[in-house]
Amino acid sequence: MLAIRRSSGALLALSLCILIVTAACGDGASPTATVATAPTATASAAATSTSTSGGTAATPTAGAETPTTAPESTATVSAAAPTATSTEATPSDATLTVYSGQHESLTKALADGFTKATGIKVEVRVGSDAELANQIIEEGDRAKADVFITEEPSQAGALDGRGLFEAVDPGTLAHVDGRFNPASGNWVAYAARSRVIFYNPDKISEAELPQSILDLANPEWKGKFAYAPSGAFTATVTYLINTIGEDATLEWLKGIKANGENLQKNGAIRDAVEAGQISFGLSNHYYWYILAQQQGGQDKLKSKVHYMSGGDPGALVLASGAGILKTSTHQAEAQRFLAWLTDADGGQQVIATTTPQYPLAPGVTSSMGLRPLDQLDPPAFDQGSLQDVSKARDLIIEAGIV
Amino acid sequence: MVRQVFETTAEPSSTHEDRWQPRKARPPAILIIPALLVSALTLSPIAYLLLREGLSVQRFLHEISSPTTSNLILHSALLAFSVTFVCAILGIGLALLVVRTDLPYRRVWTVLFALPLGIPAFVSSYTWVAASYQLAPQATFLYGLRGAVLVLSLAVYPYIYLPVVAALRDLDPAQEEVARALGAGAVEAFFRVTLPQLRVAIASGGLIIALHMLAEFGALELLRYPTLTTAIVQRVTVLSAPEAARTLSTVLAIGALLFLASDRLLRGRPTAVRTGSGVARRSEPWRLGYATPVWLIFSGTFIAIALGVPLFSMIAGMARVIGNSGAGVSWGELLEAAVNTGRYALVTAVVATVAAFPVSMLSVRYPGRLATLVERSTWIAHALPGVVMSLALVYLSVRWLYPLYQTSSLLIAGYVILFVPIAIGAQHVGVAHAAPHYDQISRSLGLGPLATLFRVTLPLAFPGIAAGAMLVFLNVGKELTMTLLLHPTGKRTLSTALWNTTNGEVLDFSTAAPYAIALVVITAIPAWVLVRHSLNPPRRPGE
Repeated sequence: MLAIRRSSGALLALSLCILIVTAACGDGASPTATVATAPTATASAAATSTSTSGGTAATPTAGAETPTTAPESTATVSAAAPTATSTEATPSDATLTVYSGQHESLTKALADGFTKATGIKVEVRVGSDAELANQIIEEGDRAKADVFITEEPSQAGALDGRGLFEAVDPGTLAHVDGRFNPASGNWVAYAARSRVIFYNPDKISEAELPQSILDLANPEWKGKFAYAPSGAFTATVTYLINTIGEDATLEWLKGIKANGENLQKNGAIRDAVEAGQISFGLSNHYYWYILAQQQGGQDKLKSKVHYMSGGDPGALVLASGAGILKTSTHQAEAQRFLAWLTDADGGQQVIATTTPQYPLAPGVTSSMGLRPLDQLDPPAFDQGSLQDVSKARDLIIEAGIV
Repeated sequence: MVRQVFETTAEPSSTHEDRWQPRKARPPAILIIPALLVSALTLSPIAYLLLREGLSVQRFLHEISSPTTSNLILHSALLAFSVTFVCAILGIGLALLVVRTDLPYRRVWTVLFALPLGIPAFVSSYTWVAASYQLAPQATFLYGLRGAVLVLSLAVYPYIYLPVVAALRDLDPAQEEVARALGAGAVEAFFRVTLPQLRVAIASGGLIIALHMLAEFGALELLRYPTLTTAIVQRVTVLSAPEAARTLSTVLAIGALLFLASDRLLRGRPTAVRTGSGVARRSEPWRLGYATPVWLIFSGTFIAIALGVPLFSMIAGMARVIGNSGAGVSWGELLEAAVNTGRYALVTAVVATVAAFPVSMLSVRYPGRLATLVERSTWIAHALPGVVMSLALVYLSVRWLYPLYQTSSLLIAGYVILFVPIAIGAQHVGVAHAAPHYDQISRSLGLGPLATLFRVTLPLAFPGIAAGAMLVFLNVGKELTMTLLLHPTGKRTLSTALWNTTNGEVLDFSTAAPYAIALVVITAIPAWVLVRHSLNPPRRPGE
């Protein structure tokens, strides 16, 4: 008796399970269907960057109509009206896939802004620069990404070095401060961050800070500072290899390992310095400004930012790069994304108002109270020269840091 | 018995069928083939590690001899041993407190002590670090091995606590009483008679914890304790050295094999089991007497620390969000993420349950070398960092299963690989309970094999199967690192959304709080059902 009642319960549960699986499978099938239409867009997405429709079956007439629209036409998509910019807005059914090494909030703000301005939908995939670069390499010629935007120049350069990037429209490159674009012209710098020192004045005065980060290998700094093997740290190491050579760089790394405290993350350095756990640390400027924003003002923080000068490697300004994958079937939309991203009235405004990173279009200044970019004193170098991270990686491992 | 949801022994150690011996017969192909397929699926990431170009003996030796590696291996081992040890003490101690003493409100404490199971380790370390900065900014107590052991033990001890509670409630007090009658003191009787009978429960929970510690990343980065896994993840996420990451991961796989072997040793020879019919009588509770208030205060403090710290940070963060009238939080996105998490967890629970069933049938009904190998093999991937799991699945799917790449199906396959051993462990108990005798009776009464499976075996094994599904559900909800890399583009889950609001770099828990609360609510449901399940055992047939 009992067994029978139980078995009906079990059967009920089983049929429920089957129902769920069927429901879930049905659901999984629909995105595949959307993806399947994408490759056919190649034909229509010709090189004309002004007006191409990525859409296929759904808008067969779009391709025919758009050429008649004047390049300066106002937005035809109703939602785009308020923020329509000089980037002309033509309707498109293409969905652009953007892989982003940037923090999720900024990436989403940029994606939303672009969709608003152009009507082109954007899907974002957020991860670390290196993780996503590796994923793009693994995807090979079946890459899902149309556009890759990074936090740091290294990984944009790495993909460029492998010949995976399409050339960026010269007009787009001209949107931003040319110092930050790579010599190759295959990716464009759309934002920048400065390497800095965060210090806690209760523990050390600004005058006592080292003149150069190269000094930190000296025993006098033992136990005084923190560092993190982040992407920007790796970029610094690559820069050092390029300028002072491998041997000297390895010596320096060994000194850093011996003297400094490895806190793993730039954010952890900021918090540890702010809390007074350690005197100072090497990090990126914007972490401090994010905290200042959260605490309600820069004067609410104990810690301070020290910008190195005299072209010291501790003052590197690193560009965030955006590139278009050669395998992308939405070349025109992708070029438009980059054009908008670097436009003084488009993406640069989003960067100026949502993140304490530096916008790079002339005339756009951050609203986050940053020290102006032209008052920094970074070393001059080609951002594209940081593309080979393999030596830096070997030295970092050899020095025992990771 | 049904309630030992984590048991992974190959022996049906606690059925009340005394005369039944495992058949020595060869298992039927209908069990062997699916079981081997499941084993092959779970070993596919290992195959990727070994076969992907770039692994060579030379490279292996190079990575092993790099200056940090030996230290990191030591860190990983220290962490795994210490956390497992502390969890064993906590798990056994708390279980004794709620099962064997006359502590007031024992049922409430039983549930409360189990609830940390619903909080992901990376969330609880997050809240601990946030609380530490808030209360004692200069203190560095929480960092390094000490903090990692403290925070992680408090997050994962229920994996030992729950099966020990179940096993303790199931023990026949007669043996201990005999020991007492023969002159042993209470303590001696416990150590010589009771504890050995808890070995299986402790070992199976301990195995889950030890393997989890090998693979843990998020929590350890926050707690500043570098291990082999954090180094592997950094090689992938910062240094773009996936070859090095793969090579080091083989070390973790070897570590997993060592743990699996020692787990077998720990179980050792079978102990005396109760063979009578019916339910064991409850043992006479130890009277706490005058010490009662002390133990109440202890229990309250313990819960305040284990549950209170995470909940405090979450609720405080939530209060700030509400005070800010919801600025910075998109409720639509939150709901979407919650639906995604719920859906992935449900589907994985079902698929993993189905996949686990042939393996648990094989190892319970046809114990032997083959069954042991298949069952043990499913555990190895459990010790691999999520990053490496996803590298493997990205590589395999891009090359051979491209239509699956970046779909929910691939993500679910990844979850199944990670969590099928947990489902197998729980099912063991249920399947052991559905002794073949019942099948034989059913067949002799004229039911076919399929009808017997559905009407006799599955219903009898159902509690164990359900417990396994709950555990899988819970673990999928908590999973972070693999989901970050394998999720379909644009589909956020609660754990990835939570992580991305912060990138582990923002200690302000405001925007993260609603996601954390939603996640805890979703994972608390199966956790709660599991506890109820341990408290109110379904009756055995024939009672």
